[in-house]
Amino acid sequence: MNDTTKKRVPILVSQLLLGLIVLLVWELAADTGRLNTFFYSSPSLIARELLSLVLTGELWRHLATTFIEAALAFSIGSLLGIVCGFVLARSPLMASIFEPYLRIGNALPRVVFAPIFFLWFDIGIPSKVALGVTVVFFIVFFNTFRGLREVDVVMIDNARILGASERQLIRHVLIPSALTWIFSSLHVSIGLAIISVVVGEWLGAYYGIGHMIARYRQNFEAAGMFAGVTVLALVVLAVGSVVDRVERRLMRWKPERSGSGMKELG
Amino acid sequence: MTSAIKVRSIAKRFANYCAVEEIDFEIPPGRFVSIVGPSGCGKSTVLNMIAGLQAPTAGAIDVFGEPLRGLNKRATYMFQQDALLPWKTVLNNIQIGLQFRGRGRREALDEARVWLERVGLKGFGDSYPYQLSGGMRKRVAMAQCWIVQPDIVLMDEPFAALDVHTRLRMETEVLRLWTASKNTVIFVTHELEEAIALSDEVLLLSAGPGSRLVGRYEVDLERPRNLIDIKTEPRFHQLYRAIWSDLRQEVLKSYERHD
Repeated sequence: MNDTTKKRVPILVSQLLLGLIVLLVWELAADTGRLNTFFYSSPSLIARELLSLVLTGELWRHLATTFIEAALAFSIGSLLGIVCGFVLARSPLMASIFEPYLRIGNALPRVVFAPIFFLWFDIGIPSKVALGVTVVFFIVFFNTFRGLREVDVVMIDNARILGASERQLIRHVLIPSALTWIFSSLHVSIGLAIISVVVGEWLGAYYGIGHMIARYRQNFEAAGMFAGVTVLALVVLAVGSVVDRVERRLMRWKPERSGSGMKELG
Repeated sequence: MTSAIKVRSIAKRFANYCAVEEIDFEIPPGRFVSIVGPSGCGKSTVLNMIAGLQAPTAGAIDVFGEPLRGLNKRATYMFQQDALLPWKTVLNNIQIGLQFRGRGRREALDEARVWLERVGLKGFGDSYPYQLSGGMRKRVAMAQCWIVQPDIVLMDEPFAALDVHTRLRMETEVLRLWTASKNTVIFVTHELEEAIALSDEVLLLSAGPGSRLVGRYEVDLERPRNLIDIKTEPRFHQLYRAIWSDLRQEVLKSYERHD
């Protein structure tokens, strides 16, 4: 048994304990009237609200909408980012022509596009996807671009001398190199895809977790708002662990990073 | 017999700097030739031009009688730095040259397995480069170079980063592969001992910039050579002293210029 597995069980217990204590204190403060449940709700009220959301089936409609939007935003944004990153990395002239515009696009807070997308696409799913795409695109684009630009020259020379054609070079050297950069930004780009569609929903939508939270706010229902937050937290946690697994599988060839679990925070 | 490599008055000039000036030499097939010289003398530049990675500013290079245009298709290159693809397993790295040359997947892998054993890495086929030691990575690079049965292998200080003992084992390995394949090896190094121990001939380049070929020395030590004991042989010392007296001057010159 190595060090990390030896420590894992007590750490897991401590982690659960910490969460339980926070919830318990919150519940007690609410029950004894020290915390105004109108503003702060309480764990039991939130749980009740969640249960009714699940039982009425209301939750699934919102969750599915958010999920579809985020998935589409992520896939379309990544695809566009990879293609553009590839084209510009292979053509220094194009790269220098496009550079100022890409800089502006990247620096601009993408939320300002939301009203424009509402105008173009109405407040349904496409407007959220468009918003998410503008966020994901730049992250993936810059990572692809850098990944291709920073391929080790020696690696390229070696492959060419061993007989690689231009296509083989792209497939065996350039793409894998770019993928390592893209994967390293996967947590960020998926996280931001979710955030941007939720914000979009919050600004205006028919369905979606962001919309659900906004509606609860209009009715001054704190429990419902917290229920929405709880659902989002669970979604992000689940997506994160899937990404971790995919990354570990595809990046098998990389030395194990020390598992502090804090890499997303760092 | 046509020379494996014929270098005809090549020069390499950069914008405000001349790396190599008017170099001529010929290497018959099957020879093991080292190029030595002080650091910064353009040894690697010469090798890169022979590989076709850089084009000479003047002069030309013939490879087996044909003028070299673009990459040298008859050579492979072993770099000082790591050039293995980190995302491919050892076996896939070894077979990559065959794959690039359009050989079938199964055939390439079978051949790679033979080479895996030949370079003493049996059991490491499914490892990734990061899991190997420096010496083992060099073994993979050697298999990668030799598996495509090149007529020429170019080596640019391939073992410079290794410790003395690992290095000796790698040198022995290179000699073994070269003896078995009978191809031509051009080996760039700044270590005269290494050059003499391995080669049939040592070429000496002068201090840069604008370095030239200033000496050619035949190494008539018997083969097969035992690299562990060769450095104690009297003939080795004679050769070493003879070449060193010339190399020493170039090294001193390079000190003056770079200080």
